Amino acid sequence: MRRLSAVDKAAAAAGLYPGQKATDAAALVPDLFTAEAEPEADATALTALVDWSVRFSHAVATAPPDGLFLDITGVDHLWGSEAELVADFRARLARNGLFFRCAVADTPGAAWALAHHGKDVEIIAPPGGQADLLAYLPPAALRLEPEAAAQIERLGLRYLFQIIGLPRAPFARRFGKQALLRLDQAMGRAEEALTFRRPPNPWFARLAFFEPISVLEDLQRVSRDVADKLCARLELESRGAKRFELTFHRLDGKAYPLTIGLSIPGRDPARIAKLFAPKLETVDPGFGIEVVTLTAEAVEVLSGRQARLDASREAALEEGLAPLVDRLANRLGEDRVWKSAPVESHVPEQSARPGAPLKPSQGWNPETPRPLRLFRRPEPLDLVLALTPDDPPRQFQWRKQTHRVRFAEGPERIGAEWWRGEIDEVRTDQVRDYYRVEDQEGARFWVYREGLYEAGVPARWFLHGLFG
Amino acid sequence: MSGFREVRLAALKAKIAALEAGGRADSESLPFGDLRLDGCFLGQGLPLGQWHEFTGAGMEVETGASPAAFAALVAAPLARRGEAVWVLRRDDLFAPGLSGLGFPAERLIQVCARDEAEALAVAEDALATAGVTAVFAEVEAVDLTAGRRLQLACEKHGATGFVIRRRPYGGLGRQTASGSAAATRWKIAPTTSEPAPGEFGLGPPRWRVELERCRGGRPGAWLMEAQAAFTWEAQDGPHPLRLVAELGDRQLAPAQSVRLSA
Repeated sequence: MRRLSAVDKAAAAAGLYPGQKATDAAALVPDLFTAEAEPEADATALTALVDWSVRFSHAVATAPPDGLFLDITGVDHLWGSEAELVADFRARLARNGLFFRCAVADTPGAAWALAHHGKDVEIIAPPGGQADLLAYLPPAALRLEPEAAAQIERLGLRYLFQIIGLPRAPFARRFGKQALLRLDQAMGRAEEALTFRRPPNPWFARLAFFEPISVLEDLQRVSRDVADKLCARLELESRGAKRFELTFHRLDGKAYPLTIGLSIPGRDPARIAKLFAPKLETVDPGFGIEVVTLTAEAVEVLSGRQARLDASREAALEEGLAPLVDRLANRLGEDRVWKSAPVESHVPEQSARPGAPLKPSQGWNPETPRPLRLFRRPEPLDLVLALTPDDPPRQFQWRKQTHRVRFAEGPERIGAEWWRGEIDEVRTDQVRDYYRVEDQEGARFWVYREGLYEAGVPARWFLHGLFG
Repeated sequence: MSGFREVRLAALKAKIAALEAGGRADSESLPFGDLRLDGCFLGQGLPLGQWHEFTGAGMEVETGASPAAFAALVAAPLARRGEAVWVLRRDDLFAPGLSGLGFPAERLIQVCARDEAEALAVAEDALATAGVTAVFAEVEAVDLTAGRRLQLACEKHGATGFVIRRRPYGGLGRQTASGSAAATRWKIAPTTSEPAPGEFGLGPPRWRVELERCRGGRPGAWLMEAQAAFTWEAQDGPHPLRLVAELGDRQLAPAQSVRLSA
């Protein structure tokens, strides 16, 4: 049976409605012009609209068959306010001949309800205020199956405010869990995950299998194959990437994404497959994997490098060290592999910070003695004998051992860097007087006294590091 | 008859030496530049392409400052030649401190492992990488299997390993590995420095260095000094370590005599 799937303004004025039998409509309006419905073309057009809407928010999802969700959290201020954003959005669509009903609310459910069943074409719910606006909407506004919505209405529950007040357990029993979930999602009591459309990535390769695979060796082989496929394209266009994501799609629709990072852009399929190899064990193939995809991110221009003809002693970076750093960073985590880089700061703990492991870095001034081991937290010293204000300690106790100082050097006064923060925050008790001391056995320590000398106040001493 | 035996013995010795060098005919060495020390080694210097073990004494068993400083100084010429990797279990190595001693810390890659097994695995991986000349590993102990694996990794590209034995803070003393596959074993203790006459403050850092075990060589004990520590010259001397005095027998050389010389 043929039915109307959509009607335009003139048809609606003539009393036609979507879902009406085509023959009934033709009887009402004899000169009715109908076109074949093309749901697939509609979906494509909606996707194109999603891609266009990225100018308003980076997170856009489709609400088939005819809607869009835009997550405008933290975006609206770019337009001034939510109202101005909506106005601009509608104006731009109207210029293209598209007329939208639009609603802004705290939850996707509430926004959908207001957009589809609200009184106005443009509704902006104040934060936390969706309950009042939803109250006089019909149950169908909850994105329920038509039968479920009809069932609720048949029982005399015509408005949402009647439902919102109902006890939850009997409501769920009567109308199903789905109805309760939709209600909670609209009211913000339950989370809702939207599938946002991701910007298309041109660096993408896909392999589909005739027979699903599940053996580890097969996974290793296909990861190499798909890497070959993508890297051939990268090579052709002189590109290299720093991040790769390999996704295994299971028969039951579950996806297992694995990611690796490279320290310098690369496109060697063997190396990429090797980095994925230890992670393949975490993939649960279930009943089998039917599709594997690989995407490259952070793609940069990478000119071809010629393998060297001379067998030099010094191995090239990309042969030895870079693969090692990649292996370690992928196995241990990126924050566990680093090269210290100098920072222009007098505060000792801030003068070196972890940097990228392959980035060339500068050295430090060797003439200011710094310890080999620096404690993250300076350890307080007990029983310190020292002549204040300026003398180094004569004796101190650290970890229950008494150290008698034989030689000392200092003080090196290091204050807080007042030019970095607010001037009011600078206090004299942040000043540290550092001494390099050597005990009777030759062990060398880096100790400091905190704060300026004040008569009557016991000085506080700390051990900040050990020289070898 | 006896001549024949000698020839065969010499051939056998050469064969064993070749086996020990991992198939490579020339095993390199890194001389300290002082015959009193270099004479202890078979190749007139610290053998490269093998791994060495450094331990501390007293509180240094946990802090591992002196063994680390000494190992860094021994390896400084190597680190300038290629890449260096330092495997830690506790992230407290301060690069500016290494830099002051004369180690090219701006080239050092640091790796923090989660546990002992991971630290050894990372060290092994780094040793087997082309272009890496020195790998430092701060671990509690290296058992025979792990030691053998480190040795095989060293032989791959001729990298040299420096294992710094360090107990985690508050950890119980573990059974020390008895037979070790290390080429040499050193015990490092800090000792009182000697400022130059008229100078104020501390002298260059000094250590009592005991070579406890040395494969193919003989043990010894010395007083050594980082001659140019905390000066700009630290970066470019022939070898940053200077031998101050030989301590004849390490059992008989009491700490007292050292202090008298100070």
